[in-house]
Amino acid sequence: MTAEPGTSAPAPSGRAAPGAAKLVLPSLIGALVALTLGVYGRLHHPTGIAVNIAGFSSPGAVKSWLATGAIAFALVQVGSALVMYGKVPRIAPPGWIGGLHQWSGRIAFLLTVPVAVHCLYALGFQHYSTRVLVHSLLGCAFFGAFTVKMLILPKPGLPRWTLPACGALVFTVLTGVWFTSAYWFFSTFGIRH
Amino acid sequence: MKIKTPLITLLAGAALGVILLVASMLATPTAATRYTPIGTPTSASTVAPPSPTPTARAVVNAPARADYAGEVHGGGASVAISIHGSRAIAYVCNGSVIEAWLKGIAAGGRLIMTGKNRARLSATYKPKQAVGHVVAHGVRYTFSAPVVHKPSGLYQAIAVVRGAKIKAGWIVLSDGSQVGSLEPKADAAAPTATQAPVLDVATGTARDGSTVLVATPISGVTGSGFNQQ
Repeated sequence: MTAEPGTSAPAPSGRAAPGAAKLVLPSLIGALVALTLGVYGRLHHPTGIAVNIAGFSSPGAVKSWLATGAIAFALVQVGSALVMYGKVPRIAPPGWIGGLHQWSGRIAFLLTVPVAVHCLYALGFQHYSTRVLVHSLLGCAFFGAFTVKMLILPKPGLPRWTLPACGALVFTVLTGVWFTSAYWFFSTFGIRH
Repeated sequence: MKIKTPLITLLAGAALGVILLVASMLATPTAATRYTPIGTPTSASTVAPPSPTPTARAVVNAPARADYAGEVHGGGASVAISIHGSRAIAYVCNGSVIEAWLKGIAAGGRLIMTGKNRARLSATYKPKQAVGHVVAHGVRYTFSAPVVHKPSGLYQAIAVVRGAKIKAGWIVLSDGSQVGSLEPKADAAAPTATQAPVLDVATGTARDGSTVLVATPISGVTGSGFNQQ
């Protein structure tokens, strides 16, 4: 159930584009990742406790700042991708733009991992309010979508729209995850460390 | 070589996740020993034997009215107990999913309390502190909670929002720090909880989104909160 958002976007290409068949396996793996996280979060008995980072008032604050950091790097992702694809007028892609895109993506992804571990281990997949359900679904879908993006990245011969579409999906899902958690946290409890 | 880097990114993330997961699993028992329930579904038999607690000689000078609050041993959660005559109300909470409201009988310096979802508490109490253990959400904590005075102690807020009964609890410790959880569907047989919004102890209110929760102190000393229970 959690996998659908991560997989449905690339799928419609299947009928026409020749390279699109290469999307099937990565999409299935991504779906499996999202599903596995969701099932684990649902079946594992939440402990309420996980490793924490010193200097913050609560796990919620830690996670909110990590997620906000991830969003910041994700914005760099979108910006650098636009430059790479020549979508920004009068800016020629500089030589380091690829490195910037790769490293901002790696950092953003690695920032989300501790957050997800705390979510799944300490809190679990929950559905007691719309925000929480949406967050649980999107959180699982994010890692599925990211997996798809990483798996199709090195593949040659894919339709040209595939990577931008997949990247946009990853960014959109991450934004949804952030709005249903960190934004909610900061707007409810105030911006605190 | 360049081809492989996305895969390395994925594997590095997965490895980080596994490391943190294992670290979390290792961290959990230090704060709270996992409690394995005795298989019987009948609640009466599971509540009965409070073996690690005190012998009968325990306490003679038990106060008739008292409020206790403190962190559990090892940290990670707080517990508050209010004793009003023979009645007692307790709350244990980690500021997140682990929390339980308990009710029970106080007699001769001993407390036996139970709550939803197989929560139970057993303790002895004296004029200065209450000592015992509590099981909530399947996690067993031991504690020695000192006596506290207003505004420290236990607070509760109940509200009905769009047909759902919200129940929040806060434990304010003697140093002024607080921990609280909120049950968005308190009427459920096994309510799930989440972090409660911060309680403004001065006004006794907390904001949960657009809802303002009004908290009542549950104090054995004043008797506040005992009539509605």
